[in-house]
Amino acid sequence: MYDPYAVLGVGRNATEEEIKKAYRALSRKYHPDANVNNPHKEQAEEKFKEIQQAYQQIMYEKERGSSGSSAYGQQQGGYWNFDDFFGDRGQQSRQSQDSESTYKQAASNYIRSGHYREALNVLNSIGNRDAHWYYLNAIANAGTGNNVAAMDSAQRAAAMEPGNLQYQQLYAQLQNGGSWYYGQRQSYGNPVDGSGNFCMKLCIANMVCNLCCGGGLCCI
Amino acid sequence: MFGYIIINKPEMKFKEFDLYQSYYCGLCRSLKKEYGRLGQMTLSYDMTFVILFLSSLYEPETLVSSGRCAAHPCKKHCQRINPFSAYGADMNLLLSYYKCLDDWEDEHKINRKIMALSLQRRFRKAAHKYPQKEQIIQEKMRQIHACEKQKCRDLDLASGYFGEIMAEIFVWRKDEWEKELRHMGFFLGKFIYLMDAYEDAEQDQKTGNYNVFLEAYGEAGFTQKAENILSMMMAECARAFERLPIVENAEILRNILYSGVWHRYELVKRRREGK
Repeated sequence: MYDPYAVLGVGRNATEEEIKKAYRALSRKYHPDANVNNPHKEQAEEKFKEIQQAYQQIMYEKERGSSGSSAYGQQQGGYWNFDDFFGDRGQQSRQSQDSESTYKQAASNYIRSGHYREALNVLNSIGNRDAHWYYLNAIANAGTGNNVAAMDSAQRAAAMEPGNLQYQQLYAQLQNGGSWYYGQRQSYGNPVDGSGNFCMKLCIANMVCNLCCGGGLCCI
Repeated sequence: MFGYIIINKPEMKFKEFDLYQSYYCGLCRSLKKEYGRLGQMTLSYDMTFVILFLSSLYEPETLVSSGRCAAHPCKKHCQRINPFSAYGADMNLLLSYYKCLDDWEDEHKINRKIMALSLQRRFRKAAHKYPQKEQIIQEKMRQIHACEKQKCRDLDLASGYFGEIMAEIFVWRKDEWEKELRHMGFFLGKFIYLMDAYEDAEQDQKTGNYNVFLEAYGEAGFTQKAENILSMMMAECARAFERLPIVENAEILRNILYSGVWHRYELVKRRREGK
Protein backbone atom coordinates (compact mmCIF):
# COMPACT_ATOMS: atom_id res chain seq x y z
CA MET A 1 0.00 0.00 0.00
CA TYR A 2 1.17 3.49 -0.78
CA ASP A 3 2.58 5.16 2.30
CA PRO A 4 3.49 8.84 1.96
CA TYR A 5 5.41 8.67 5.24
CA ALA A 6 7.72 6.04 3.82
CA VAL A 7 8.41 8.24 0.80
CA LEU A 8 9.70 10.93 3.16
CA GLY A 9 11.46 8.35 5.32
CA VAL A 10 9.70 9.25 8.55
CA GLY A 11 7.53 7.26 10.91
CA ARG A 12 3.75 7.59 11.05
CA ASN A 13 3.96 9.36 14.37
CA ALA A 14 6.51 11.96 13.25
CA THR A 15 5.79 15.55 14.32
CA GLU A 16 5.00 18.21 11.74
CA GLU A 17 8.41 19.70 12.25
CA GLU A 18 10.10 16.35 11.59
CA ILE A 19 8.05 15.90 8.45
CA LYS A 20 8.96 19.36 7.23
CA LYS A 21 12.63 18.77 7.92
CA ALA A 22 12.57 15.44 6.12
CA TYR A 23 10.86 17.04 3.16
CA ARG A 24 13.42 19.84 3.05
CA ALA A 25 16.36 17.45 3.13
CA LEU A 26 14.97 15.42 0.23
CA SER A 27 13.86 18.45 -1.69
CA ARG A 28 17.34 19.94 -1.49
CA LYS A 29 18.63 16.84 -3.20
CA TYR A 30 15.98 16.27 -5.85
CA HIS A 31 14.54 19.72 -6.61
CA PRO A 32 14.84 20.58 -10.34
CA ASP A 33 16.75 23.75 -9.38
CA ALA A 34 19.45 21.60 -7.79
CA ASN A 35 19.68 19.21 -10.73
CA VAL A 36 20.09 21.50 -13.72
CA ASN A 37 23.38 19.89 -14.70
CA ASN A 38 22.54 16.41 -13.55
CA PRO A 39 22.62 13.88 -16.44
CA HIS A 40 19.85 11.96 -14.69
CA LYS A 41 17.69 14.97 -14.13
CA GLU A 42 14.51 13.30 -15.37
CA GLN A 43 14.82 10.70 -12.65
CA ALA A 44 15.47 13.37 -10.08
CA GLU A 45 12.39 15.22 -11.23
CA GLU A 46 10.25 12.10 -10.95
CA LYS A 47 11.55 11.56 -7.45
CA PHE A 48 10.88 15.18 -6.59
CA LYS A 49 7.27 14.92 -7.72
CA GLU A 50 6.84 11.86 -5.58
CA ILE A 51 8.23 13.66 -2.52
CA GLN A 52 6.07 16.66 -3.23
CA GLN A 53 2.93 14.58 -3.48
CA ALA A 54 3.71 12.64 -0.33
CA TYR A 55 4.33 15.83 1.60
CA GLN A 56 1.13 17.46 0.45
CA GLN A 57 -0.90 14.40 1.23
CA ILE A 58 0.48 14.16 4.75
CA MET A 59 -0.17 17.83 5.41
CA TYR A 60 -3.68 17.58 4.08
CA GLU A 61 -4.47 14.51 6.14
CA LYS A 62 -3.05 16.08 9.28
CA GLU A 63 -5.17 19.14 8.83
CA ARG A 64 -8.30 17.14 8.33
CA GLY A 65 -7.58 14.77 11.19
CA SER A 66 -6.60 11.95 8.84
CA SER A 67 -10.04 11.61 7.35
CA GLY A 68 -9.58 9.34 4.40
CA SER A 69 -9.13 10.31 0.80
CA SER A 70 -6.92 13.21 -0.07
CA ALA A 71 -8.26 15.69 -2.54
CA TYR A 72 -6.23 18.60 -1.39
CA GLY A 73 -4.82 20.51 -4.31
CA GLN A 74 -7.12 18.92 -6.83
CA GLN A 75 -9.42 21.82 -7.28
CA GLN A 76 -7.11 24.50 -8.51
CA GLY A 77 -8.26 28.01 -7.98
CA GLY A 78 -10.71 27.28 -5.18
CA TYR A 79 -10.28 28.45 -1.61
CA TRP A 80 -12.05 25.57 0.00
CA ASN A 81 -12.49 21.82 -0.16
CA PHE A 82 -15.91 20.32 -0.07
CA ASP A 83 -15.50 16.62 -0.57
CA ASP A 84 -17.26 16.08 2.72
CA PHE A 85 -20.28 17.89 1.47
CA PHE A 86 -20.27 16.82 -2.12
CA GLY A 87 -19.04 13.30 -1.93
CA ASP A 88 -21.38 10.33 -2.06
CA ARG A 89 -23.96 12.00 0.06
CA GLY A 90 -24.56 14.98 -2.18
CA GLN A 91 -27.87 16.62 -2.77
CA GLN A 92 -29.17 14.21 -5.35
CA SER A 93 -32.36 13.37 -3.51
CA ARG A 94 -34.17 16.57 -4.39
CA GLN A 95 -35.70 15.67 -7.68
CA SER A 96 -38.76 17.89 -8.02
CA GLN A 97 -39.08 19.30 -11.49
CA ASP A 98 -39.75 23.00 -10.99
CA SER A 99 -37.30 25.43 -12.53
CA GLU A 100 -35.85 26.63 -9.23
CA SER A 101 -34.67 23.18 -8.31
CA THR A 102 -33.17 22.86 -11.79
CA TYR A 103 -31.24 26.01 -11.06
CA LYS A 104 -30.15 24.65 -7.74
CA GLN A 105 -29.04 21.46 -9.41
CA ALA A 106 -27.00 23.55 -11.84
CA ALA A 107 -25.45 25.45 -8.95
CA SER A 108 -24.55 22.17 -7.21
CA ASN A 109 -22.92 20.91 -10.38
CA TYR A 110 -20.88 24.07 -10.73
CA ILE A 111 -19.76 23.76 -7.13
CA ARG A 112 -18.84 20.13 -7.57
CA SER A 113 -16.64 20.98 -10.54
CA GLY A 114 -15.02 23.91 -8.75
CA HIS A 115 -16.75 26.66 -10.78
CA TYR A 116 -17.73 28.73 -7.80
CA ARG A 117 -18.31 32.02 -9.55
CA GLU A 118 -20.69 30.43 -12.02
CA ALA A 119 -22.46 28.77 -9.10
CA LEU A 120 -22.88 32.18 -7.45
CA ASN A 121 -24.34 33.64 -10.64
CA VAL A 122 -26.92 30.89 -10.87
CA LEU A 123 -27.77 31.17 -7.19
CA ASN A 124 -28.28 34.91 -7.48
CA SER A 125 -30.96 34.35 -10.10
CA ILE A 126 -33.05 32.24 -7.72
CA GLY A 127 -35.79 34.15 -5.91
CA ASN A 128 -36.86 31.62 -3.33
CA ARG A 129 -34.16 31.51 -0.71
CA ASP A 130 -34.68 28.59 1.61
CA ALA A 131 -32.20 26.85 3.88
CA HIS A 132 -30.86 24.77 1.03
CA TRP A 133 -30.21 27.91 -1.01
CA TYR A 134 -28.22 29.42 1.86
CA TYR A 135 -26.32 26.17 2.20
CA LEU A 136 -25.26 26.22 -1.46
CA ASN A 137 -24.58 29.93 -1.30
CA ALA A 138 -22.27 29.38 1.68
CA ILE A 139 -20.23 26.78 -0.18
CA ALA A 140 -19.98 28.78 -3.39
CA ASN A 141 -18.89 31.87 -1.47
CA ALA A 142 -16.28 29.97 0.51
CA GLY A 143 -14.94 28.60 -2.76
CA THR A 144 -14.41 32.08 -4.19
CA GLY A 145 -12.72 33.27 -1.01
CA ASN A 146 -15.72 35.29 0.22
CA ASN A 147 -15.45 33.85 3.68
CA VAL A 148 -17.52 36.52 5.41
CA ALA A 149 -20.51 35.90 3.15
CA ALA A 150 -19.96 32.16 3.45
CA MET A 151 -20.14 32.29 7.24
CA ASP A 152 -23.32 34.42 7.17
CA SER A 153 -25.05 32.07 4.78
CA ALA A 154 -24.00 28.92 6.61
CA GLN A 155 -25.28 30.40 9.83
CA ARG A 156 -28.64 31.18 8.22
CA ALA A 157 -28.99 27.72 6.73
CA ALA A 158 -28.21 26.15 10.10
CA ALA A 159 -30.68 28.44 11.88
CA MET A 160 -33.48 27.85 9.36
CA GLU A 161 -33.25 24.07 9.63
CA PRO A 162 -31.68 23.23 12.98
CA GLY A 163 -32.37 19.53 12.44
CA ASN A 164 -30.32 19.27 9.27
CA LEU A 165 -27.03 17.69 10.14
CA GLN A 166 -25.33 18.66 6.91
CA TYR A 167 -26.06 22.36 7.41
CA GLN A 168 -24.85 22.20 11.00
CA GLN A 169 -21.73 20.42 9.87
CA LEU A 170 -20.91 23.04 7.26
CA TYR A 171 -21.40 25.86 9.76
CA ALA A 172 -19.19 24.05 12.25
CA GLN A 173 -16.49 23.44 9.68
CA LEU A 174 -16.40 27.09 8.65
CA GLN A 175 -16.09 28.10 12.30
CA ASN A 176 -13.44 25.52 12.93
CA GLY A 177 -10.62 27.61 11.44
CA GLY A 178 -11.44 30.55 13.66
CA SER A 179 -11.42 28.55 16.87
CA TRP A 180 -8.21 26.74 15.96
CA TYR A 181 -6.60 30.09 15.25
CA TYR A 182 -7.92 31.55 18.48
CA GLY A 183 -6.22 28.78 20.42
CA GLN A 184 -2.92 29.43 18.68
CA ARG A 185 -3.26 33.12 19.30
CA GLN A 186 -3.75 32.60 23.03
CA SER A 187 -0.51 30.64 23.23
CA TYR A 188 1.46 33.46 21.63
CA GLY A 189 0.27 36.11 24.05
CA ASN A 190 -1.45 39.42 23.63
CA PRO A 191 0.79 41.92 21.86
CA VAL A 192 -0.23 44.82 24.07
CA ASP A 193 -1.07 42.95 27.20
CA GLY A 194 1.63 42.72 29.78
CA SER A 195 0.84 43.53 33.38
CA GLY A 196 -0.95 46.79 33.25
CA ASN A 197 -0.57 50.18 31.84
CA PHE A 198 3.10 50.77 32.34
CA CYS A 199 4.05 47.91 30.09
CA MET A 200 1.72 49.14 27.43
CA LYS A 201 3.23 52.59 27.55
CA LEU A 202 6.62 51.03 27.18
CA CYS A 203 5.38 49.13 24.20
CA ILE A 204 4.02 52.23 22.57
CA ALA A 205 7.13 54.21 23.37
CA ASN A 206 9.14 51.44 21.86
CA MET A 207 7.00 51.34 18.77
CA VAL A 208 7.11 55.09 18.31
CA CYS A 209 10.84 54.99 18.79
CA ASN A 210 11.20 52.20 16.28
CA LEU A 211 9.11 54.18 13.87
CA CYS A 212 11.22 57.29 13.97
CA CYS A 213 14.64 55.81 14.26
CA GLY A 214 14.10 52.44 12.68
CA GLY A 215 14.96 53.91 9.34
CA GLY A 216 11.21 54.26 9.40
CA LEU A 217 10.90 57.75 8.22
CA CYS A 218 8.11 55.75 6.73
CA CYS A 219 5.41 58.19 5.96
CA ILE A 220 3.74 55.49 3.93
CA MET B 1 2.24 50.83 3.38
CA PHE B 2 0.13 49.82 6.35
CA GLY B 3 2.40 48.43 9.03
CA TYR B 4 -0.01 45.87 10.47
CA ILE B 5 2.14 42.81 9.85
CA ILE B 6 4.59 43.30 12.69
CA ILE B 7 6.22 41.33 15.48
CA ASN B 8 5.18 41.06 19.09
CA LYS B 9 8.54 42.10 20.45
CA PRO B 10 8.14 41.35 24.18
CA GLU B 11 7.35 37.72 23.36
CA MET B 12 10.40 37.34 21.20
CA LYS B 13 13.87 36.07 22.01
CA PHE B 14 16.71 38.56 21.51
CA LYS B 15 18.28 36.33 18.91
CA GLU B 16 15.04 36.15 16.95
CA PHE B 17 14.57 39.87 17.13
CA ASP B 18 18.07 40.50 15.76
CA LEU B 19 17.38 38.13 12.91
CA TYR B 20 14.09 39.85 12.12
CA GLN B 21 15.71 43.24 12.22
CA SER B 22 18.50 42.12 9.92
CA TYR B 23 15.92 41.41 7.19
CA TYR B 24 14.34 44.78 7.85
CA CYS B 25 17.73 46.46 7.45
CA GLY B 26 18.33 44.35 4.35
CA LEU B 27 15.14 45.68 2.80
CA CYS B 28 16.09 49.23 3.72
CA ARG B 29 19.49 48.75 2.05
CA SER B 30 17.94 47.26 -1.06
CA LEU B 31 15.47 50.10 -1.35
CA LYS B 32 18.28 52.60 -1.12
CA LYS B 33 20.40 50.79 -3.62
CA GLU B 34 17.61 50.43 -6.19
CA TYR B 35 15.56 53.52 -5.56
CA GLY B 36 17.65 55.96 -3.57
CA ARG B 37 16.68 57.86 -0.45
CA LEU B 38 13.15 58.51 -1.57
CA GLY B 39 12.67 54.82 -2.23
CA GLN B 40 14.02 54.14 1.22
CA MET B 41 11.21 56.20 2.68
CA THR B 42 8.70 53.58 1.57
CA LEU B 43 10.29 51.04 3.95
CA SER B 44 7.66 48.89 5.60
CA TYR B 45 7.26 46.10 8.12
CA ASP B 46 4.65 44.40 5.95
CA MET B 47 7.17 43.86 3.20
CA THR B 48 9.77 42.76 5.74
CA PHE B 49 7.39 39.95 6.61
CA VAL B 50 7.03 38.96 2.95
CA ILE B 51 10.81 38.86 2.55
CA LEU B 52 11.42 36.91 5.74
CA PHE B 53 8.65 34.50 4.81
CA LEU B 54 9.81 33.87 1.23
CA SER B 55 13.41 33.55 2.44
CA SER B 56 12.34 30.91 4.94
CA LEU B 57 10.40 28.97 2.35
CA TYR B 58 13.03 29.01 -0.38
CA GLU B 59 16.16 29.29 1.77
CA PRO B 60 18.22 31.21 -0.80
CA GLU B 61 21.87 32.12 -0.32
CA THR B 62 21.86 35.12 1.96
CA LEU B 63 24.59 37.65 2.42
CA VAL B 64 25.08 38.62 6.04
CA SER B 65 26.93 41.84 6.68
CA SER B 66 26.93 44.62 9.18
CA GLY B 67 26.88 48.31 8.63
CA ARG B 68 25.75 51.71 9.77
CA CYS B 69 22.99 53.74 8.25
CA ALA B 70 21.76 57.30 8.44
CA ALA B 71 19.04 56.30 10.87
CA HIS B 72 21.46 54.54 13.22
CA PRO B 73 24.73 56.44 12.91
CA CYS B 74 26.24 55.15 16.14
CA LYS B 75 25.31 51.52 16.05
CA LYS B 76 26.23 48.88 13.54
CA HIS B 77 23.37 46.73 12.44
CA CYS B 78 23.38 43.31 10.93
CA GLN B 79 21.83 43.06 7.48
CA ARG B 80 20.63 40.05 5.57
CA ILE B 81 20.35 40.46 1.83
CA ASN B 82 19.21 37.87 -0.70
CA PRO B 83 17.24 37.94 -3.96
CA PHE B 84 14.02 38.43 -2.00
CA SER B 85 15.27 41.72 -0.55
CA ALA B 86 15.40 43.16 -4.06
CA TYR B 87 12.08 41.56 -4.95
CA GLY B 88 10.51 43.01 -1.80
CA ALA B 89 11.94 46.43 -2.61
CA ASP B 90 10.39 46.31 -6.10
CA MET B 91 7.01 45.20 -4.79
CA ASN B 92 7.14 47.78 -2.05
CA LEU B 93 7.64 50.51 -4.59
CA LEU B 94 4.75 49.36 -6.74
CA LEU B 95 2.43 49.20 -3.75
CA SER B 96 3.55 52.46 -2.21
CA TYR B 97 3.04 54.32 -5.44
CA TYR B 98 -0.53 53.10 -5.82
CA LYS B 99 -1.24 53.66 -2.15
CA CYS B 100 -0.14 57.29 -2.48
CA LEU B 101 -2.35 57.79 -5.51
CA ASP B 102 -5.24 56.15 -3.69
CA ASP B 103 -4.83 58.37 -0.63
CA TRP B 104 -4.76 61.38 -2.89
CA GLU B 105 -7.92 60.40 -4.72
CA ASP B 106 -9.82 59.35 -1.60
CA GLU B 107 -8.78 61.91 0.91
CA HIS B 108 -7.10 64.59 -1.18
CA LYS B 109 -3.98 64.50 0.89
CA ILE B 110 -1.70 66.71 -1.14
CA ASN B 111 1.49 65.32 0.37
CA ARG B 112 0.55 61.92 -1.03
CA LYS B 113 0.11 63.36 -4.47
CA ILE B 114 3.54 64.94 -4.23
CA MET B 115 5.00 61.67 -3.01
CA ALA B 116 3.38 59.76 -5.89
CA LEU B 117 4.74 62.24 -8.40
CA SER B 118 8.20 62.02 -6.93
CA LEU B 119 8.06 58.24 -6.98
CA GLN B 120 6.90 58.08 -10.58
CA ARG B 121 10.25 57.50 -12.24
CA ARG B 122 11.19 54.86 -9.68
CA PHE B 123 7.78 53.30 -10.01
CA ARG B 124 8.29 52.89 -13.77
CA LYS B 125 11.57 51.14 -13.12
CA ALA B 126 9.88 48.62 -10.83
CA ALA B 127 6.93 48.22 -13.21
CA HIS B 128 9.33 47.51 -16.03
CA LYS B 129 10.82 44.61 -14.08
CA TYR B 130 7.46 43.04 -13.25
CA PRO B 131 5.01 44.14 -15.94
CA GLN B 132 2.46 41.42 -15.20
CA LYS B 133 2.37 42.00 -11.49
CA GLU B 134 2.14 45.74 -12.06
CA GLN B 135 -0.85 45.21 -14.38
CA ILE B 136 -2.67 43.16 -11.79
CA ILE B 137 -1.96 45.60 -8.97
CA GLN B 138 -3.17 48.48 -11.12
CA GLU B 139 -6.34 46.66 -12.14
CA LYS B 140 -7.21 45.59 -8.59
CA MET B 141 -6.53 49.07 -7.20
CA ARG B 142 -8.92 50.43 -9.82
CA GLN B 143 -11.57 47.92 -8.74
CA ILE B 144 -11.06 48.82 -5.09
CA HIS B 145 -11.52 52.44 -6.00
CA ALA B 146 -14.73 51.70 -7.90
CA CYS B 147 -16.05 49.74 -4.92
CA GLU B 148 -15.32 52.60 -2.59
CA LYS B 149 -16.95 55.10 -4.94
CA GLN B 150 -20.14 53.05 -4.87
CA LYS B 151 -19.95 52.92 -1.09
CA CYS B 152 -20.00 49.16 -1.27
CA ARG B 153 -20.98 47.42 1.99
CA ASP B 154 -19.76 43.97 0.98
CA LEU B 155 -17.01 42.96 3.40
CA ASP B 156 -15.58 40.45 0.95
CA LEU B 157 -15.44 42.54 -2.19
CA ALA B 158 -12.91 45.37 -1.86
CA SER B 159 -10.92 43.41 0.70
CA GLY B 160 -10.85 40.53 -1.78
CA TYR B 161 -9.34 42.77 -4.45
CA PHE B 162 -6.63 43.79 -2.07
CA GLY B 163 -6.23 40.14 -1.20
CA GLU B 164 -5.59 39.39 -4.85
CA ILE B 165 -2.88 42.04 -4.90
CA MET B 166 -1.14 40.46 -1.92
CA ALA B 167 -1.60 37.01 -3.44
CA GLU B 168 0.21 38.24 -6.52
CA ILE B 169 3.06 39.55 -4.40
CA PHE B 170 3.32 36.31 -2.44
CA VAL B 171 3.52 34.25 -5.62
CA TRP B 172 7.10 35.18 -6.38
CA ARG B 173 7.17 32.59 -9.14
CA LYS B 174 4.79 29.92 -10.32
CA ASP B 175 5.98 26.66 -8.81
CA GLU B 176 4.81 23.88 -6.56
CA TRP B 177 3.87 26.34 -3.81
CA GLU B 178 1.76 28.69 -5.87
CA LYS B 179 -1.54 27.52 -4.46
CA GLU B 180 -0.49 27.89 -0.82
CA LEU B 181 1.23 31.21 -1.43
CA ARG B 182 -1.82 32.58 -3.19
CA HIS B 183 -4.02 31.41 -0.35
CA MET B 184 -1.81 32.97 2.28
CA GLY B 185 -1.41 36.26 0.46
CA PHE B 186 -5.10 36.50 -0.38
CA PHE B 187 -6.29 36.20 3.20
CA LEU B 188 -3.48 38.30 4.60
CA GLY B 189 -4.49 41.00 2.10
CA LYS B 190 -8.12 40.78 3.19
CA PHE B 191 -6.97 41.05 6.78
CA ILE B 192 -4.91 44.17 6.03
CA TYR B 193 -7.73 45.87 4.17
CA LEU B 194 -10.29 45.16 6.89
CA MET B 195 -7.89 46.03 9.71
CA ASP B 196 -7.28 49.37 8.05
CA ALA B 197 -11.03 49.93 7.83
CA TYR B 198 -11.46 48.89 11.46
CA GLU B 199 -8.83 51.36 12.59
CA ASP B 200 -10.20 54.22 10.50
CA ALA B 201 -13.89 53.64 11.28
CA GLU B 202 -14.02 56.30 14.00
CA GLN B 203 -12.38 58.97 11.92
CA ASP B 204 -14.27 58.14 8.76
CA GLN B 205 -17.53 58.47 10.63
CA LYS B 206 -16.58 62.05 11.51
CA THR B 207 -15.29 63.04 8.11
CA GLY B 208 -17.86 61.11 6.10
CA ASN B 209 -15.19 59.25 4.15
CA TYR B 210 -16.00 55.82 2.85
CA ASN B 211 -15.42 52.91 5.18
CA VAL B 212 -16.72 49.40 4.74
CA PHE B 213 -17.44 49.17 8.48
CA LEU B 214 -19.24 52.52 8.63
CA GLU B 215 -22.71 51.05 9.25
CA ALA B 216 -21.55 48.39 11.63
CA TYR B 217 -19.36 50.77 13.62
CA GLY B 218 -21.23 52.04 16.64
CA GLU B 219 -23.58 49.06 16.71
CA ALA B 220 -23.47 46.94 19.83
CA GLY B 221 -20.87 44.21 19.61
CA PHE B 222 -19.00 45.81 16.74
CA THR B 223 -15.57 45.19 18.24
CA GLN B 224 -16.28 41.50 18.71
CA LYS B 225 -17.79 41.17 15.25
CA ALA B 226 -14.77 42.82 13.67
CA GLU B 227 -12.46 40.59 15.67
CA ASN B 228 -14.28 37.46 14.50
CA ILE B 229 -14.02 38.53 10.89
CA LEU B 230 -10.35 39.46 11.19
CA SER B 231 -9.69 36.13 12.92
CA MET B 232 -11.30 34.25 10.04
CA MET B 233 -8.87 35.91 7.66
CA MET B 234 -5.82 35.19 9.78
CA ALA B 235 -6.96 31.61 10.36
CA GLU B 236 -6.98 30.93 6.62
CA CYS B 237 -3.64 32.65 6.20
CA ALA B 238 -2.03 30.77 9.09
CA ARG B 239 -3.39 27.42 7.97
CA ALA B 240 -1.76 27.83 4.59
CA PHE B 241 1.44 28.83 6.37
CA GLU B 242 1.38 25.68 8.50
CA ARG B 243 1.02 23.52 5.40
CA LEU B 244 4.26 24.88 3.98
CA PRO B 245 7.55 23.17 4.84
CA ILE B 246 9.03 26.11 6.72
CA VAL B 247 11.59 25.24 9.35
CA GLU B 248 13.92 28.24 9.43
CA ASN B 249 12.58 31.30 11.23
CA ALA B 250 9.28 29.49 11.78
CA GLU B 251 8.93 30.85 15.30
CA ILE B 252 9.47 34.46 14.22
CA LEU B 253 6.88 34.05 11.50
CA ARG B 254 4.42 32.48 13.93
CA ASN B 255 5.03 35.31 16.39
CA ILE B 256 3.87 37.67 13.63
CA LEU B 257 0.97 35.58 12.32
CA TYR B 258 -0.53 34.65 15.69
CA SER B 259 0.31 37.69 17.74
CA GLY B 260 2.02 40.67 16.11
CA VAL B 261 -0.76 41.25 13.59
CA TRP B 262 -3.12 41.98 16.50
CA HIS B 263 -0.99 44.76 17.91
CA ARG B 264 -2.83 47.65 16.31
CA TYR B 265 -6.21 45.99 16.80
CA GLU B 266 -5.60 45.78 20.54
CA LEU B 267 -4.37 49.37 20.74
CA VAL B 268 -7.43 50.67 18.91
CA LYS B 269 -9.74 48.52 20.99
CA ARG B 270 -8.26 49.85 24.21
CA ARG B 271 -8.43 53.41 23.02
CA ARG B 272 -12.11 53.00 22.18
CA GLU B 273 -12.89 51.22 25.44
CA GLY B 274 -11.14 53.95 27.37
CA LYS B 275 -13.63 56.49 26.16
